[in-house]
Order: sequence, then structure tokens, then C-alpha cells
Amino acid sequence: MTFGNETVTIGSMSDSESKTYSDSRRASPKSMSAAKRDAHWLYSIANKQDARALSELFEIYGPKLKGWLMARGVGNGTAEDIVQDVMIKVWTKAGSFDPTKASFATWVYRMTRNRWIDHKRKHGRMDVRDPDLMKIIADDEVQSAEVNFMAQQNSDILKEQISRLTKAQQMAIRMAFMEYKTHKEISEETGLPLGTVKTRIRSAIQALKANMAKHIGQIQ
Amino acid sequence: MTFSVDKKIKISEDIITEYAAGNLSPAKHTVVACQSEICEEVSSRIMFQEQIAASMIEEVQTKILSPLFMGNVLANLPPQDKFSSNNTNIENNSPRTLSHLLGCGLNEMKWKSLIPGVAVHDILGNRHTKDGDRLYLLKAKGGMQMPNHGHNGEEWTLILKGSYNVGDKTFVRGDLHIEDEDEIHSPHINEGEDCICLVMTQGPLKMKGWLPRLVQPLIGI
Repeated sequence: MTFGNETVTIGSMSDSESKTYSDSRRASPKSMSAAKRDAHWLYSIANKQDARALSELFEIYGPKLKGWLMARGVGNGTAEDIVQDVMIKVWTKAGSFDPTKASFATWVYRMTRNRWIDHKRKHGRMDVRDPDLMKIIADDEVQSAEVNFMAQQNSDILKEQISRLTKAQQMAIRMAFMEYKTHKEISEETGLPLGTVKTRIRSAIQALKANMAKHIGQIQ
Repeated sequence: MTFSVDKKIKISEDIITEYAAGNLSPAKHTVVACQSEICEEVSSRIMFQEQIAASMIEEVQTKILSPLFMGNVLANLPPQDKFSSNNTNIENNSPRTLSHLLGCGLNEMKWKSLIPGVAVHDILGNRHTKDGDRLYLLKAKGGMQMPNHGHNGEEWTLILKGSYNVGDKTFVRGDLHIEDEDEIHSPHINEGEDCICLVMTQGPLKMKGWLPRLVQPLIGI
């Protein structure tokens, strides 16, 4: 996917690149651009009612979010309904988006995930007590947590840091976030003990967190 | 009210990962969403993992939106909200996620009495079929001892108001107390104020003692 001349992808990596994170390069200006670009569009939506900026954002994020939903087994129509719902929410809530707290990518991911879970709740086997009162999980505002190193530009650094993990760690991260299965299901399918699955995922995330902290520490 | 000198009860990183990835059941997801609103430590841990999950979307195979999608959405955009993010935080001690689900704050909701001193409000799931994860609010009077019970599955309890003790551990607002099916416990609600919790249970509770067992089918817990 490109924006202007700038490619926005998770860096693919060779073996030699993946081994360590010792040289701690700063994120290149090229990789910093996605979050800044998004924040700029959000600003236009919030302050200039710029529907074109909304459409630009969703030309990029719409197909990704739809892809994520369909990978989780959501049908084409429902996936588009959810993306549409998220897009409208981005329009109405753009003013509450704070790029110092989270990236747009994280915000829009959270909304999509929550709406999908909401959809499961409404259409799953669960008996919804009072359908009239069933509303969405509150996700339209970014949590006001003390977020040390999660300023918006860090989403780009994060992608770079993921690509610098060892192959095994990257696999564990993919297992956690892209298999769309619970740890228990992964354990049952792979034959790995549940404790092993959990440990592998946990240690990969810890490694990533440590690298991020180190990287941010060096920038500041 | 007493506060434990033990270190703070922390939920495991595995739960945070499953939450961020969207792998928890709707009932569990709701509990963690509520906790993240009232516990900053959890909120920032979640934020980090959501950032990872959002990054991974880059690797998902994209699906093209239908040709009319963009035009339809843009033609029907509602007015934008004028408020900034701080206008609706926590109403009546209730996390926003919960207020959205309930349609009201904790103070306005209707309770159903179970036994003297204990009332519930069902949110998700069916108490009588006992199928799948159930989510409900539970209110217990300050000073009372809850019946000794175990579980047929996990029990997740998020404390919203008041506090209780189990053995030497104290659980206060913002703590998520998780028990698996092997645990038998009898929480003691601390004096001073009622304790309100958001509870997720899987399957019926295993009551100890003849009286609780006798009334269990009647009250449906």
C-alpha cells in the first residue's frame, strides 16, 4: 500500500536483521509518515468537516479492516456493515481523537474489534437480556491512561521493532494476533501444552516491550 | 475498610493479549473493557498490545470494498459530535462500557433480590439454561459473608464499588478477581458500604451446605 511515494508496510526482514536489536536505529522519516498522515486527515475531518479526508482514510483502512473481519469468519455484507459503522464513528468522533494518546490505526482497530464482538454478542448463542438496551461497547474515545511511550508516531516504530524480533518471537506474535484463536485453541491444534503457548507469546511481547522502551529511551 | 499490604492484584498478560486480539467471549471482553476504564495500569498494558494488534492488520489480506460503499457512506454522514473526549467519563461509578450496556448508571438500575442482602441484575446470558458465559451485576451488603461456593467454570469478578476479603486478600474497586473451577471460597464483604461487582460465570456455581443448595435452583445462580 502506498501513500504518495511512501510505502507503508511492516518491514520484511532477513535472518541477519532479525537476530538482535542492538543497533537501535531510529525510525526512518519514511516509516514515520503513516501516523502523521492519518493524524493530519483526522484533524481535517474534525476541524474542517472534510469528508474527502475521511474517504482517503478509508480507502486505506477500509480494505484492511474488512480483510481482518473476513479472516475472522465474518461474511462480506456484515464486514462492510461493521466497516461502515466504524467509518461513521470516525466522522462523528474525530474531535475526540487525541493523537498523543494512540495512533489512528489503533483507534480504528479497537473500534472494529469491539463492533465485531458486539456483533457476536447480538447474534451468538447468548440470550441477550434486553435487546433494546444493547449498545456498543464504549470505544469511541481513546482511554485516558498514562501512556508512557504510546504517542502516535510510535506505531511506526513498533512495526519496525516487530520486524527486529527473532523469527520465533515474530511467529509467537503472529500466533497471538493473527491466528484468531484463543491460546487454548492454539494449544489444542498444535499439540503444544497450554503453558508453552502462553509462555512463548508472553515472552515475545515482553521482548517487544523491552525493545520499545529501550528505543524510546534512546530517542528522548 | 482495610487495604491489603499484599502487592496489587494484576491480571495476567495472557488475558490482556486475548483481549487485544479480540479472542475473549463477549462477556469476558466486557469485563476487561470495564476494568480498563477504572484501572490505569490495565489500560496502558492493553494499549500496548492493541498497538501490536493494529500493526498486524498490515499483514492481513485486504478485501476490496464494494464499488458503492464509499459513496453510500459519504452521502449519509450524520452531523459530527461537538464534544471533546472528556465530557462523559464515568457516571455513578459505572464504567462507560457498562452504562452503554445497561442504558443507565449504577444508581438508577433495578435490582432483583436473591437472598437477604444480595441482589443481582442480569446483563448477558441465561441464568436458567446456564449455557455459556453469563454476565451480571451483583450487589452485596457491607459486612455480610457470602455463601461458600465453588464453580463449574471460571468466575471473573470486577469490583466496581466497596471491597471484600477472601482469606488474606482484599479486593477493591478496579481489581479483577479470577477464580477457576478448583477454587472454593466465601468472600467477606467489608463493612461500611455495599459492594457492587460485575461478574462473569461459566456454568452454575457449586454451593456448599444444605441451605444454599436448597435455594440455588429457586434463585437461579
